[in-house]
Amino acid sequence: MALDTKGPPPDTSPIVIPDLAGDDDFREFGMAEHPRGGFHGLLEVIPTRADLVLDLIRANSLWPLLSGLSCCAIEMMSSATSKNDIDRFGMFPFRASPRQADVLIVAGTLTTKMAGPLVRLWEQMPEPKWCVAMGTCTTSGGRFKRSYSVVQGVDRLMPVDVYVPGCPPRPEGLIYGMLRLRELVLQRRGEWPTYVDRGPQRSNWEGDVT
Amino acid sequence: MTSEVRIPDPLHPERTEEARLRAAAGLAPAPSTGGEYAGFESVGLPDRPPQTEREREVYTLDEGEMLVNIGPQHPSTHGVMRLVAKVRGEVVVDIDPVLGYLHRGIEKLCENATYTTVMTYVDPMDYLSSMHNEHAPAIAFEKLYGVKAPRRAEYIRALVVELNRVFSHGLMMGFQALDMGGLTPILYAFINRDEVVDLLASISGQRMLFNFFRVGGVNFDANDEFFSRLGTWRAGVLKTIEMNERILTDNEIFRGRTIGMGVLSGSEAMALGVTGPSLRASGVPFDVRKAHPYSIYSELEFEVITHTGGDVYARYLQRVAEIKQSIHLIDQIVDKMPHGPVQAQVPGIIRPKPGRAYAAVESPRGLYSVYAISDGGPNPYRFRMRDPSFVSLQAMPKLMPGRLIADTMAVMASFDPVMGGVDK
Amino acid sequence: MADLRRPRPAAKQLGRRRDLSAPAGALVRLLLDRFADLAPTVWTDEDTVEVRIDGERNVEVLARLRDDPELNFFMLADAAAVDYGPTEHFEVVYHLYSDLHPAWLRVRARVDRADPHLPTITGLWEGASFHEREMYDMMGIVFDGSRDLRRIYMSPDYRSFPQRKDFLLPDDAADSPAAGVDPLERPETWDLSRFVEAATSSEAES
Repeated sequence: MALDTKGPPPDTSPIVIPDLAGDDDFREFGMAEHPRGGFHGLLEVIPTRADLVLDLIRANSLWPLLSGLSCCAIEMMSSATSKNDIDRFGMFPFRASPRQADVLIVAGTLTTKMAGPLVRLWEQMPEPKWCVAMGTCTTSGGRFKRSYSVVQGVDRLMPVDVYVPGCPPRPEGLIYGMLRLRELVLQRRGEWPTYVDRGPQRSNWEGDVT
Repeated sequence: MTSEVRIPDPLHPERTEEARLRAAAGLAPAPSTGGEYAGFESVGLPDRPPQTEREREVYTLDEGEMLVNIGPQHPSTHGVMRLVAKVRGEVVVDIDPVLGYLHRGIEKLCENATYTTVMTYVDPMDYLSSMHNEHAPAIAFEKLYGVKAPRRAEYIRALVVELNRVFSHGLMMGFQALDMGGLTPILYAFINRDEVVDLLASISGQRMLFNFFRVGGVNFDANDEFFSRLGTWRAGVLKTIEMNERILTDNEIFRGRTIGMGVLSGSEAMALGVTGPSLRASGVPFDVRKAHPYSIYSELEFEVITHTGGDVYARYLQRVAEIKQSIHLIDQIVDKMPHGPVQAQVPGIIRPKPGRAYAAVESPRGLYSVYAISDGGPNPYRFRMRDPSFVSLQAMPKLMPGRLIADTMAVMASFDPVMGGVDK
Repeated sequence: MADLRRPRPAAKQLGRRRDLSAPAGALVRLLLDRFADLAPTVWTDEDTVEVRIDGERNVEVLARLRDDPELNFFMLADAAAVDYGPTEHFEVVYHLYSDLHPAWLRVRARVDRADPHLPTITGLWEGASFHEREMYDMMGIVFDGSRDLRRIYMSPDYRSFPQRKDFLLPDDAADSPAAGVDPLERPETWDLSRFVEAATSSEAES
């Protein structure tokens, strides 16, 4: 039996874009004419407006990075499992890869040796991204503030959006913090700042041990 | 093995593929990115020649070998741990555990804290068995200060410690499955864990880092509400444990991946310093609760459980058996619980006479011991903690050669290390 | 708040002898029999027997303790280092367990602070390797013959030895001797010349 391997003939008809605003309007945005007709680069214009819509979606599915440092990581896991179930708020799929994550929950004491890898993880996350400092260790060094090997607050390394106090915070506390982050995303809808430019928020606190 | 295969040799950067291509293209050599984390860029090699014999052995590659960096951020590791695996294809040739990503200097902080505040610093050590972390210093400081905890306090201590062991071993069942790709057991394990932790929070006031033990007693008495909650918990505790057992113990995939995997003989385990359930799973009946009884364990009836396999499956079965043993112990403790005070009379700032004290307890991971030296001041002159999972990790380079990369995590999970304790 | 940082004459006060108590009596008699030269250093309290040795003798003494069938201290429970202050000495403390005796055995090996070298015991217990790496990292004690003596907790380029008593933690109080010190590194504690010499000499031998 002979098989028809040719398939349908290729579509050579020109792409037709409905003339909504007139060609001149498109040229104002610096878009080039496509050789097969129409304009390309159209999507490059839309996102400045689409963020208003996309941030609505983002706020309802904030995916954290599966990155636990110490004690708080257990409570973070607890908040993701049956009893507390952060999945109710669309935050469940703890992504193993920073490329797929929206939120970095710094859960646990950050030491000087781990600081480099953690900053690397943060830099690997695509924009827009948010950082939640979970527990007092990540807020200020906490009970290890005097230690010779602990970073005294993770906001010396990266911008932090929400601080969750507690040592460790209860899972409910983390969920509340994540809901505050959701509000924050909705407040900043469409005009989130680029974190690359913001960098760390402080180098020293008032009254810090230097 | 074809000669075209070029193996990156980080020890000799001039031999790498990139360097060869750069030289062929007439480009300058790649700029050296020195500094603390320079090695992290490739496979975690330090930016210096190997210093020790062992380091040279691990980081020198033969034809066909490469280095794979597992961690420090890896979803399967138990915290921020890094394993540098030398592999030939899919087979592990050697493993070098790199520690210290959670080193918080707890010993040093304890030496600068008063005897009472030491209890808050040891809590986050082995954060899945905080009660055990506090138990050993409490015994050591009581020995130094010459005070004995009241009997009811000793019973409450044993009760909370065994409760802690139940959820710690229960979580190990979950993590063991999670590291091998099964998600369900961890969900059951966390149901049990949250119940126990809430129970312990009702007596100690803190949910996870309990800060419950004091020199000469415990912080709060166990009231009727606690015992009523304990009874409710006791009625349903075996439900989640048995659910996990049903999923795992006879599961063909689980058995296939764990039986005969990571076999550690008893003599090897003792030479390596492996203690606790991992040692007992190799057939050595060493349990500090029996070997050197502390607290009230000499008054309780229990036998040291052992398994003979010495493999991952035996270590798993050992934990399951010890959960049931702990529940049995909890029943006995509650039956025998005496009345009376829970705190001996001690001043706020304790100044023991100069001396030394050593105290060891059986934590869920093994022998957890404290060595404290007093010089008469308000804070310990030297405070040393021996964490069992720190020592147990030395078994990894012994067990992994010849195994597949995917089994690394299964073997590591069977020792149930907690990085807070390993790195202190 | 007491002054936590004033150097105290710790070593002079420590080591008072107490009466021998009953449970550990058999072990003490056995030790006096086997190690006659160490008799003046044997000390005991309710559940620990202690013996002090010179650092150089650690392998010999520990091997005899382990291999003697009547002593049978087969398990190394702990190995730790103690710093008795800048003018005093180091001590490496081994805790051993035997199933024949109801007491912990503590072996305290004295190490010179100016030249902290000690033979490794990884030949007796392989598991002592991590303990020795930790002592090297935290105290700067060098274990001769160890196959793997590198820093275990701190980064390889870290230069201080934080567990030493002259490494002060930072303090908020302005009158504290530790006010205003760098929280992470203590340059005044860097003294690496002897380790450089040790490394070069071992390389020359190999």
